[in-house]
Amino acid sequence: MVRFDDSIQKRLAIAGVIVIIAFGVLLGRLWTLQIIAGEKYFEMAESNRVRTVSISASRGVIYDRNGEILVNNRPSLVVTVIPSELKNKDVLLRLSELLDMVPNEIEEKLEDKKVDPLKPRTIKYDINEDTAVYIKEHSADFLGVEVKVEPVRNYSTSTVAAHVLGYLGEISEDEFEKMKDKDYKLGDLIGKSGTEKQYEEILCGVRGFQQLEVDASGKVIRILDENESVAGNNLQLTIDNNLQLATEKSLQEAIKAANKEGYKDANAGAALVMNPNTGEILAMASYPTFDPSLFTGGISSKQWAGLNDETSGFPLLNRTMMCSYAPGSVFKPITYLAGLMEGVISYNSTFNCTGKWTGMGESWARYCWKRSGHGQMNLSSGLSNSCDVVFYEIGYKLYKEKGEKLQKWAREFNLGSKTGIDLPSETKGRVPDKAWKKKFNENYPEYQAWMPGDTVNLAIGQGDLLTSPLQIASVYSAIANGGTVWKPHLGKNVLTAEGEEIHEFKKEKVLDIPVPKTIIEKLQKDLRRVIVDGTAKNAFAGFPIKVAGKTGTSQVKSKDDFAWFACYAPLDKPQYVVVVLIEQGGHGGSIAAPAARRILAAVHDIPSTGPVTVLDRSR
Amino acid sequence: MKKHGVFEWFRFIDFSLIAITTLLVVYGNLMVYSATRSSQGDPFFYLKKQIIFTLLGILVAVGIALLNYNWFRHYMVPLYIGNIALLLLVLLIGLTTYGATRWISIGFFNLQPSELAKIILILTLSAVLADKKGNIGKISELFTVFAYVGLPLLLIVVQPDLGTGLVLVAITLGLLFISGLKWQHALLIFGIVVLVIFLIFQFNLLKEYQMSRLMVFFNSSADPLGAGYNLLQSKVAIGSGGFLGTGLFSGTQTGLKFLPVRHADFIFSVVGEELGFLGSSFLLGLYFILITRGLAIGASAGNLYGTLVAVGISSMWLFQVLVNVGMTMGIMPITGIPLPFFSYGGSSMLINFAGVGLLLNIYARRFK
Repeated sequence: MVRFDDSIQKRLAIAGVIVIIAFGVLLGRLWTLQIIAGEKYFEMAESNRVRTVSISASRGVIYDRNGEILVNNRPSLVVTVIPSELKNKDVLLRLSELLDMVPNEIEEKLEDKKVDPLKPRTIKYDINEDTAVYIKEHSADFLGVEVKVEPVRNYSTSTVAAHVLGYLGEISEDEFEKMKDKDYKLGDLIGKSGTEKQYEEILCGVRGFQQLEVDASGKVIRILDENESVAGNNLQLTIDNNLQLATEKSLQEAIKAANKEGYKDANAGAALVMNPNTGEILAMASYPTFDPSLFTGGISSKQWAGLNDETSGFPLLNRTMMCSYAPGSVFKPITYLAGLMEGVISYNSTFNCTGKWTGMGESWARYCWKRSGHGQMNLSSGLSNSCDVVFYEIGYKLYKEKGEKLQKWAREFNLGSKTGIDLPSETKGRVPDKAWKKKFNENYPEYQAWMPGDTVNLAIGQGDLLTSPLQIASVYSAIANGGTVWKPHLGKNVLTAEGEEIHEFKKEKVLDIPVPKTIIEKLQKDLRRVIVDGTAKNAFAGFPIKVAGKTGTSQVKSKDDFAWFACYAPLDKPQYVVVVLIEQGGHGGSIAAPAARRILAAVHDIPSTGPVTVLDRSR
Repeated sequence: MKKHGVFEWFRFIDFSLIAITTLLVVYGNLMVYSATRSSQGDPFFYLKKQIIFTLLGILVAVGIALLNYNWFRHYMVPLYIGNIALLLLVLLIGLTTYGATRWISIGFFNLQPSELAKIILILTLSAVLADKKGNIGKISELFTVFAYVGLPLLLIVVQPDLGTGLVLVAITLGLLFISGLKWQHALLIFGIVVLVIFLIFQFNLLKEYQMSRLMVFFNSSADPLGAGYNLLQSKVAIGSGGFLGTGLFSGTQTGLKFLPVRHADFIFSVVGEELGFLGSSFLLGLYFILITRGLAIGASAGNLYGTLVAVGISSMWLFQVLVNVGMTMGIMPITGIPLPFFSYGGSSMLINFAGVGLLLNIYARRFK
């Protein structure tokens, strides 16, 4: 072996050290990646290759009480687009032309940033078959675009019971946050109002999933795991579809009639039918209404704005329970009972109505709706004729002798509180009192004091008192059944997808009103008088069923009067409470009472529906 | 040579080098198969070709081992001219793929002259340096070397094949180091390199993809679906292997094609994923032995030329392993440098076997 000079040997040795260092670095890095961070990368590798695809569950069917379908599902041909793949403007333009959509409209639907960019978005529902075939045949021109069949809500009778059923919409970020523990994903459809929202958990079902192994291009290699979706449970409502139809029709006719009578601003109203013995809602109508199928496939922002615009009359509001109004004279039975129960009057007390009441002094004079005066009145004729003077007197006495007892009795009927109906966004109305008035006028010290006139106003259902038509139905149910307030409800049964009943909604008592039977019976008798010879006499002329009820005409500043009517039938064994309210519809006796009559006629299959309006200027 | 017994021949054969090389190519072929088996069509397509290259490589190694390597020293001028001619030929009639012109079609396979240039540079530059008796004290001598290396380097870089160009630089530095490069000169070279890098950036000489690869090197999370994709997927593949790996042929990242060009430049990622730390460090161990074995052969060589050739070959392998493995793990920029004996590819395989042949040759003639 040739010996080189030492320097070469030394340099070779240094080279050896360099090699050792180089491999040391590589080995160290390998250790870091595989041993220290191995788990992290393993998870990344898993998420690389495993895709979980969720399979949405089919939503439960909603039936009426007789098993008629109110909402079910139908297949719809839809076009979906994967946002990340629709960068190509040409495809977007071709698609917008084919689907007759503005490109902006498509982009709007794709915009949702929070949802997985790989998740296909549905941009149009219910495309026709030719379009579907065209897209499939020209799939190369429509990369990222797919045609699928998706189940959508099917409303068997368009707008019927729209407010009761509610509509579906994409889950919002807020809702998503709130329901974190539940199995929702952004982009899912959930109930946004009505029963669909209230019973979301019953209806939604359990989504299924498929765990797929995919390659780098997203192509499915095999199914690793699969869990089938479970359809949502079906829901049976207490609504009777036929009665619902009749109620909606009567409500609309009443509004039309009011318009004809000269009440040009009458364009909204509410009507409902309830079983006074159980709280079951048999029909619930609100006008104006909307078509829930508008929401199928996501409502456009333009349509949404339309539904929330003042000129449309806010059709999404369920006026039976989301809005509250001055009840006017339909409140008088409570004043009646309060007066008797508190002992400020007796059943035989007499009143003299001259059309003007000066109980608080001449300068605070109040007038009866009947300016010419009712003459000699007692409690019974006062109620049947809805004589304001009688109730001014009771209210004033209650104020002077008992303070806030009238409010107490209003609350005994659960006014000022939610009825607890199984629908979202219920109003609780308002029973005004001293404390409320002070707080309400916080910034106006001169209006803070509770005046005797406030109680006097309250006694005839005016002033600051607010009630929803549903609350009034609940009050009249209690009167009809002898004193129990039942929780109004729409849910009747929960059924499995196969039709097996798994839950029955039982009636729930809210409270018993502490009024002796004898006193309620007096009130019931006098409410019957309203129909027989009182303010609703003309409306119910010739009606074969015995009805008891009360008209109401409430005054709202700078608006036409609101027409109310609340009643129950049959008299001896009440099965139905009907409440009708027409905003700015004029007189309760002439507009609302005939509508209630037609609803009761439908209940009892009475062909002659009676007059649409009667001449009745009473309140 | 005196007649010895049959067993005397064993003294001339470096069995350890043969063993290491055998282990490497068998391991490598297995991994090429693992990386390509899920391709459409014949799952053995790549493996078959790689086996053919391996067998050809063995022929090349045996052929070169049987020659006297000192001949190359005498034929240095024709070798150098031939090298330049081939590189020029690439530019004239070469095949262009992926925007680079690197190959000359010679029937059944595409020759990559830049690969050949590596071994020719080792043989010819070693000759130049050996003539100087391992002393390059004068700066003028240094510049002669630069000029000598510069021409093939330029022809390779314009293909463009920056990776192979860098291998040439690494070989040159390795040989210069052994030849007694003065530290002042080393500083000068360092200065020149810095200047060149500065000029490259100043005049935007890098291609866009090269620039983005560099950016990715400095920030691996930049552009995860573009230039950073390969690196990220490579790290995911290696990292997910853990200690024992997912098992041979069971790598999902490579099998499901999350990692592009996994059979070529990113084959180490397949090893990392499927065989884990155990298999990867075993592979690094094989390379370590191969390279130190090369240096040892250089140390025991019969003459300076042999030492330099052996060191040149070791430098080439060391640089390629360091850069390729480092690149798959994100500690080196992404450059198209193949992993010796492992990455799929004919020219590379033949050149590496030529290197083994030369080392065997040098070992066998160490007594002279």
